Amino acid sequence: MSDDRPPVRVAPRIEAESFAAPRLEPEALPVPVAMPPVRSGLGPLLGGAAVLVGGLVALDLTSTVAGLFDRSPWLGWGGVAVGLAGLGLVVRGIAREVSGLASLATVDRLRAALTGTNLEAARRAARDWIGRIEEGGALDGAIAASPDVAAINALLRAGPGAVLAGRVDALGRAAAVQAFAAAAASPSAALDAALVAWRGMRLIREVATLYGVRPGAAAMLTLVRRTALSAASVAAADLATDALARAVLSNPLLRHVGGEVAGAGLAARRMILLARAAAAACSPVSEAHTPGTD
Amino acid sequence: MSAALGSLSTALTELVPGTRHVRVAVTGLARAGKTALLASVAANLLAFGAGLPVLPLLAQHLARRRMKVTMAPAGAADLPRFDHAAHIAALAADPPRWPERTQSVSLLAFDLTIARQVVLGDLLPPKRIRLELLDYPGEWLLDLPLLAEDFRTWSEATLARLERGPAFARDFLAFARGLPADAPADEALAASGHRLYRAALLRLRDETRLSLLQPGRFLMPPPGPEPPWMGFFPLPGSSPLCRLLAERYDAYRDAVRRDLVQGRFAAVDRVLVLADVLAALAAGPAAFADIAAALSAASEALRYDTSLLRRIPLLDRLLPPRIGRVVFAATKADHVAARQRRNLAALMAALVRLPPEAPQPASLAVAAVRATEDFVWALDGRNVSAVRGRVLGESRMTRSYPGEVPDHSPDAAFWAHPFLDVPMFEPMRALPGGAIPELGLDALLVALLGDVL
Repeated sequence: MSDDRPPVRVAPRIEAESFAAPRLEPEALPVPVAMPPVRSGLGPLLGGAAVLVGGLVALDLTSTVAGLFDRSPWLGWGGVAVGLAGLGLVVRGIAREVSGLASLATVDRLRAALTGTNLEAARRAARDWIGRIEEGGALDGAIAASPDVAAINALLRAGPGAVLAGRVDALGRAAAVQAFAAAAASPSAALDAALVAWRGMRLIREVATLYGVRPGAAAMLTLVRRTALSAASVAAADLATDALARAVLSNPLLRHVGGEVAGAGLAARRMILLARAAAAACSPVSEAHTPGTD
Repeated sequence: MSAALGSLSTALTELVPGTRHVRVAVTGLARAGKTALLASVAANLLAFGAGLPVLPLLAQHLARRRMKVTMAPAGAADLPRFDHAAHIAALAADPPRWPERTQSVSLLAFDLTIARQVVLGDLLPPKRIRLELLDYPGEWLLDLPLLAEDFRTWSEATLARLERGPAFARDFLAFARGLPADAPADEALAASGHRLYRAALLRLRDETRLSLLQPGRFLMPPPGPEPPWMGFFPLPGSSPLCRLLAERYDAYRDAVRRDLVQGRFAAVDRVLVLADVLAALAAGPAAFADIAAALSAASEALRYDTSLLRRIPLLDRLLPPRIGRVVFAATKADHVAARQRRNLAALMAALVRLPPEAPQPASLAVAAVRATEDFVWALDGRNVSAVRGRVLGESRMTRSYPGEVPDHSPDAAFWAHPFLDVPMFEPMRALPGGAIPELGLDALLVALLGDVL
């Protein structure tokens, strides 16, 4: 049975609520779905191994030194000296790793200051960065005179940023030539991949040093991961799709037509992109800056 | 057939090297929110280029290809740049401010870098697009219909419209009616009539919701000293004064034509027209009829071309630019709830009448800067979809249910009930990374640029 009555029209209205309210907040941006934490056994495994090796070495060293003191005091002191020298080198290595990681954290800190809205913090970060690189030059006066954060970024991009970008490209070209030659001349695909991977790691380290970051082994792992991430924002440097390109170029027909040189050309091109991606990962100055609003 | 040609054309375009220039004229009727839209486009495109998950429909259109967005360098261009940073800062400030009305033409330009959408596209150099958004005054857009009208026709139509409209033009109408049939070509008469007519236009723009106000350059003069041919006003008849005014009218049209062919509008190949349709609904049938007439007049006057020649890559760059894509957007869509926003888009589509040679237009409802949130309001025992937000300068929330938005041109039954004018809400707080909350901006960008991205 249909209802023939006309629909009831609600009278429009605009009314203020009784209580004060804060400014409207937007809905939070979608974030990637958080994966449940994976309880990996690797951490305890490595930690346990380190405790065992370190502890047993320390106990063994103590026992050895004590034995040496039992035989003769000068033999004991000699053992102490050898033990301290060895431990000193280990501590120095650890300190270098920590320093390498700290220099990456510094990049993050400077980047945050140079993309924020606090002008003084941006000035301090700019001075800090140019103090860390050889190409800093005498920019102090210009940084002090810059009226806003965007101007400081523009100054850094145009000055040391441009010089560094030129050097990064030069490093990338040199690595590309070497990778091309190595890949074209290597007798096996496995050796080809190993050579290119080794040259790539060396290139990342060279670029990082250029930007005042001196990575150790642990920092290198972090840097390689960051380079892979920043590659996505470097034009056309999509490492994920490069894997596809490599797969396509490995097609037997293409191999026959293009020969191994096609793969070598790809490897060379990738070196240049890798250099730029590493530079993007190590530079506190983004390619384009928009004043933040937070 | 046409779809296949379109696909082939897209594939060929993907292979063409070099930087492609895309110039969009962003224009709008009075108080449509053009400046806020340009600021929001700048903020959100830059945030999108920086990898923030904004503009989801645009990301979907790009199909996982990353788009790098940078502000294009100004170079030695003669057009002033749109001051996007200042406008974004004003919207994000606490307390926020809406952008002031722009008083001149300006350009907002981006460089877009995108991987090519073809097989092995990643092995090719990326596609580069210089996207230029020309902040083109809506008042000037309404000068285009004058090119097809002679002085007598325009005068008769304008005077008839003024006589039907609000009383702000009373002084001018009295002056025009009082002139003798053989009025001499006297400079003092021409100057007095022009001054009265211009004052009436300014009051109609500022104090009513009327949009179809011509000539547009009387309301927004171009920079520089005003030439003598600007001194005319509508006057039917064949007196010596009419002949003088007609000469000036023709000189004015020549200037408009020059600007269209050689000037800032010459390189435009797509157009975005904005209109505050909700405000026109609130202002009543006269204002609504006026906005519909203004939209029709402007859209019919543009030079369209969707011929097959335009689809041939490289050749399209050699041909003089013609409008190949047009989008009409009803702005401030967040002033009504989600259910009514669909009606608003349909109403916008119903208002647009394009000539046969024009491309199929897209009609959308957008809120370039979101200022309200949707909520359900229990009114008179019924739940209605409404919105609420803080009115600019106040600390309390204001609830708003202005009425039902029709999904077609409103009829007499609609005008029998009130539709309320929504107050000016303050913009929502900005998102982290500088993005501005919006509604439908991604759909608008895809509709406008989807073929070149």
